Amino acid sequence: MTEFFAGLEQLALARWLKASFIAYPVVNALHIMSIGALLTSVLLMDLRICGAFRSLPYAAFVALLRRIALAAFVGALVTGSLLFSVKASTYAAMPVFLAKMALILLAGINFFAFLRFARGGDEPAGSAILAVLSILLWTSVLFAGRFIGFL
Amino acid sequence: MQSPFNGIRSVALTAAVMLAAGTAAYAHHGWSWTQDGFFELRGKITAIYIGNPHATLDVDAEGEAWRVEMAPPSRTIAAGFTEEVAKVGDEVTAIGNRSLEASEKRMKAVRLIVGGKTYDVYPDRVPPA
Ligand code: HEM
Repeated sequence: MTEFFAGLEQLALARWLKASFIAYPVVNALHIMSIGALLTSVLLMDLRICGAFRSLPYAAFVALLRRIALAAFVGALVTGSLLFSVKASTYAAMPVFLAKMALILLAGINFFAFLRFARGGDEPAGSAILAVLSILLWTSVLFAGRFIGFL
Repeated sequence: MQSPFNGIRSVALTAAVMLAAGTAAYAHHGWSWTQDGFFELRGKITAIYIGNPHATLDVDAEGEAWRVEMAPPSRTIAAGFTEEVAKVGDEVTAIGNRSLEASEKRMKAVRLIVGGKTYDVYPDRVPPA
């Protein structure tokens, strides 16, 4: 594993990002853009699941925001992996980075649990709990992500 | 059932979260987290990293492990301070501003002296000669 992370850092792309004046901040900005879109869509979707904005049709609203959230997550995954490659061994050894990855995993499990169990009609039974959990988990990912730079 | 949420409240919550994250983002990059007066650290380099997002030196000063932050890498390299001019084990003098948090062994350098050579990473902030 150690060699794998050291190898990542030696990739031409990682070395270029490490020293670049413009590329790194651009990738960083795209990471933040993805995160912003992800949190906004997750928050609006989960609030609707909990019963907010009832004037908006449940199925269409949730389906639209879920699509945006998934696309934003892919964006965060790609840009995050690029940022990671620059200092892979350092990040991999940081408890706060590992906590962030674990929280993303939990948020993912929560998402699949929602798909599996919260079915049938608008605001299905039990879905509010998963929606609140989703808001808490993604917000925690955000804070863990920001703290990487300070610990 | 009346919805327990209203639009304004959730917008305000989102704004508060983003503001909190943004404020934290501010602390690390500028000088707001450092003391005003100059601070000088002498010790041995234990690790050196010149790259994004921050160039850093780890310094052992009489048994204390310090983290010295430098300019963004492009600026640090422009000042002539690269991974070629210093290596682990070298004696270094770092002049700059230390963290406001007295217990934190962390400073931001404006000038580095290694091997008798001076590198001004923040030429506009170095102490008057
Ligand atoms: C999916 C895989 C992801 C990976 C591999 C990843 C990796 C990274 C890395 C390496 C950094 C740079 C840390 C630093 O040195 O400052 C970072 C920053 C950050 N990440 Fe992620 N990330 C991912 C997803 C996410 C998600 C989903 C969120 C939010 C919900 C998030 C929030 C943040 C935040 C807030 C920052 C700090 C940005 C800054 O201060 O400029 N990340 N991420």
